[in-house]
Amino acid sequence: MCGIIGCTGRAEDTLDVLLSGLEGLEYRGYDSAGVALANGSLEICKRQGELDRLQQAVGNSLRGPVGIGHTRWSTHGPPTDANAHPHTDCTGNVAVVHNGIIENYDELKAELHARGHEFESDTDTEVVPHLIEAALAEGASFEAAFREAVSRLEGSYALAAVTADTEAILATRHDSPLVLGVGDDAAYLASDVPAFLEYTDRVVYLEDDDFARLESGAWTVTDADGQLLDKSVSRVEWDAEETAKSGYDHYMLKEIHEQPRALRKCLRGRVDELTGSIQVDSLEGLSPSSVQFVACGTSYHAALYGAQTLRDAGIPAQAFLASEYATAPAPVGDDALVVGVTQSGETADTLSALREAQRRGVETLAMTNVVGSTATRECDRTLLIRAGPEIGVAATKTFSSQVVACNLLAATIADRGDSREIVEALRDLPGQVQELLDASRAESVAKRFVDSEGYFFIGRGHHHPVALEGALKMKEITYKHAEGFPAGELKHGPLALVTDQTPVFAVVTGDGEEATKTVGNVKEVEARDAPVVAVTDGASDASRYAEAVLEIPETHPQVAPVLANVQLQLVAYHVANELGRSIDKPRNLAKSVTVE
Amino acid sequence: MTVRAAVVLAAGEGTRLRPLTRNRPKPMLPAADRPILEHVFDALISAGIERLHVVVGYKRDRVQDHFGPTYRNLPINYVHQDKQLGSGHALLQAREAVDDEDGFLVVNGDQVIERRMVADVLAAFEDDDASATLAVTEQADVSHYGGVVMDGERVTELVEKPDTDDYRLLNAGVYAFAPTIFDAIAETPRVQGELALTDTLVRLIEAEADTVDNDVAVRGVTTEGLWVDATYPWDLLDVSRELLLDARVTEPEREESVWVADSATVHDDATLQGPVVVGPDTEVRPGAVVGPFAALGRNATVGENAVVAESVLDTDARVGPNATLLDCVTGQGVSLGANSTVPGGPGDVRVDDRVFADQRLGAVLADRVTAEGSVNVAPGTLVGPNATLHTGVTVSENVTEYAEVFR
Repeated sequence: MCGIIGCTGRAEDTLDVLLSGLEGLEYRGYDSAGVALANGSLEICKRQGELDRLQQAVGNSLRGPVGIGHTRWSTHGPPTDANAHPHTDCTGNVAVVHNGIIENYDELKAELHARGHEFESDTDTEVVPHLIEAALAEGASFEAAFREAVSRLEGSYALAAVTADTEAILATRHDSPLVLGVGDDAAYLASDVPAFLEYTDRVVYLEDDDFARLESGAWTVTDADGQLLDKSVSRVEWDAEETAKSGYDHYMLKEIHEQPRALRKCLRGRVDELTGSIQVDSLEGLSPSSVQFVACGTSYHAALYGAQTLRDAGIPAQAFLASEYATAPAPVGDDALVVGVTQSGETADTLSALREAQRRGVETLAMTNVVGSTATRECDRTLLIRAGPEIGVAATKTFSSQVVACNLLAATIADRGDSREIVEALRDLPGQVQELLDASRAESVAKRFVDSEGYFFIGRGHHHPVALEGALKMKEITYKHAEGFPAGELKHGPLALVTDQTPVFAVVTGDGEEATKTVGNVKEVEARDAPVVAVTDGASDASRYAEAVLEIPETHPQVAPVLANVQLQLVAYHVANELGRSIDKPRNLAKSVTVE
Repeated sequence: MTVRAAVVLAAGEGTRLRPLTRNRPKPMLPAADRPILEHVFDALISAGIERLHVVVGYKRDRVQDHFGPTYRNLPINYVHQDKQLGSGHALLQAREAVDDEDGFLVVNGDQVIERRMVADVLAAFEDDDASATLAVTEQADVSHYGGVVMDGERVTELVEKPDTDDYRLLNAGVYAFAPTIFDAIAETPRVQGELALTDTLVRLIEAEADTVDNDVAVRGVTTEGLWVDATYPWDLLDVSRELLLDARVTEPEREESVWVADSATVHDDATLQGPVVVGPDTEVRPGAVVGPFAALGRNATVGENAVVAESVLDTDARVGPNATLLDCVTGQGVSLGANSTVPGGPGDVRVDDRVFADQRLGAVLADRVTAEGSVNVAPGTLVGPNATLHTGVTVSENVTEYAEVFR
């Protein structure tokens, strides 16, 4: 963790390119940053804290034809200047940046230590420059030394290295993302496209164990044996400027407001109300007998929703936390499908779980937002959610798009011919989200309950994942205690936590059996003096027991969770804003978690 | 000097367009297949503007959500005007953004303009001494706008909403200024708390008239070209009509004057009568007849055998089977049930206490109006946002927001 940038061929601009690249990676979350430029000697500057600190420290003094940079999110050792990347060898002639975890670093460090190498940091990364140094000392070329060092590593890594006296960057990856950017007379390297999107939209996606060499603005990619590979250059469509906040104070609020547009894109060309059909090209011919979802965090809540929707359609389906599934997978029957839900397509836990499924010969599907991501390249099929780039660490629009994508998946697999009702509801959804955004009272509800001790969220059926997601959003950005429960579970334990200081957000739509039962649970908490906030379409009498009501438009029960969730996103946002939290970059969290 | 920056004023509600402005400002109302503001941006960009500053205020999220951070690859800088205290005040908010420019354009974001008008103002301003410059255009009715009197290129008189019909030239709301305009605005006394940009220009004209040398304080540039504005809701029909006649539509042209988005579905048994535009994701079902002079927005549905002509239907409109809509303007998310009828104008329109007689208006249905089946709407009726007209109702008077009308 967390971000890598490198460039060659930009002459005097190297430092500027590296710094703007690091800014482009900021959204991933970081706690320190650094750069190294080579020009006969190595010039390195690194700082704990925000990028501003690095920029002040580095001034405008570093020059060199090649350079690498890094934003770090601490895994081994605390965030300090010393632990920030790039890391160097004993001579100060080799500098390395790294994402991932080197699992055998203890062993390597002990070995290197015994051979007289001195270490300055607590990181796993630092073994790499020393391994390169050791090989160089034995007379190897930079490239041979780099390969020799990499061959000793176990674990996950995206690595980039420079030396004082070559004008080349060497890089490789294993279970951690790395892409090349192809400029006119320049070449770039990054863990993530936004880092260099300002300079080029032509990219080369590296595969595991590819080796890249960037020199004098040109690039080559070879395999582990040094054979030249013929890599194709593709164009990415995302616009670098889309990373801006367009007049909002926070990316999160911008992204909440983008949901109508994102949902329209997710549905475009995939639903036809006239024939009541749902057609997704990449899902053609898919008819598994059972489905297992694997995912983490917010994507897991979308997965829970997806599993329930498939079950409703008569397809056996379950959702699993990817980090658990990777080591303790559930048994699968014949013709099963494993669906990995991951916004970035790079979530390490989800990739592990998908690989575990593939190892067992099960068909896999990546449900993701990122074209060309590892998940899309490794899975048999891809269902793109088309939400556009999401910068806020707390996922908002991607959850809504994932839920809609789950509906597309369920309708395709169940194939009950006429899906007219759900198609109609999905086509109405973007406008209904807009209606909700136009009239939401979430801000006043947030102001009213900002000082509460904690928050509980309850919902039944399709609203159970919404309750979990509402609580997760609240935790992530307000740092306050929040839990979500299936409404019926409240009385089996958590009710003991409910007091007049803990508002309970109850998601209730329609007036069917589920609603009636949830209203019963609402009465239970109301009787214990907890303030109830009803998130409801007004069909049941839930609001009679509520101190505040967040209204959502009436719609198909399967689509209502998207609307209810938008209200809860707004509540979490406004509570965090009242508390002055770092909304787009909450403490300790990263946008895409690329370590297990 | 080369001018590459523009300030677009898009913060005002446009109260005379109520109830359509309930959820968005006037610049975001539909002009054929897209918001008015998009036409303004297009005119600026094709005239060579590279830096866009947009002053937003009333319901600003709607502007920001629609355009996001860029338009046609140009970054948009959003400037906030928290209280709408006039056009001069709005421009002052952008002072910091353009203070380093030698000169910049200022345009109204709520009137459709075209490239030529912008280019003419730029050329005059750039060639000369960079004194305040404004576009002047000839129109039959100047009474709602700023009337202009010129002596050569010198503007000698600028009168807001003149009550005589002596004026034939109007201020088109396209200006070029040097940064000195900001001090002039700041020195202008407020009228009822508001600062109108034209008050500042009048002061400049008057101050110069008192001096002996013959400088031009405010220069007018007479220009031709498309200039259309909606003062009242029914004017949106004329705006779209003009734009369709002038082919100012972005969707692909399927046959002459029939523009259909790639993602739209038009059934083989439906008829499109040009000029007509069908927006993205929209469905037109068997037997429907759409056009002439119909603009269907994004993700709309026109049901079986429905008729839509001389109308502007905005995003997410749902027109049921056998419904008829003539001379109709809708907001977003409007739903009209089966067999409902808006038979079309002319009719008398009541706005507050004023009656506008014999306007060509079937009805204005504001955002999320729901008309259930077999509803009839008499000519000239304004129906407020989120109103529900229940089955079989006939409405002939204006309906307020959230009202429910039963038979």
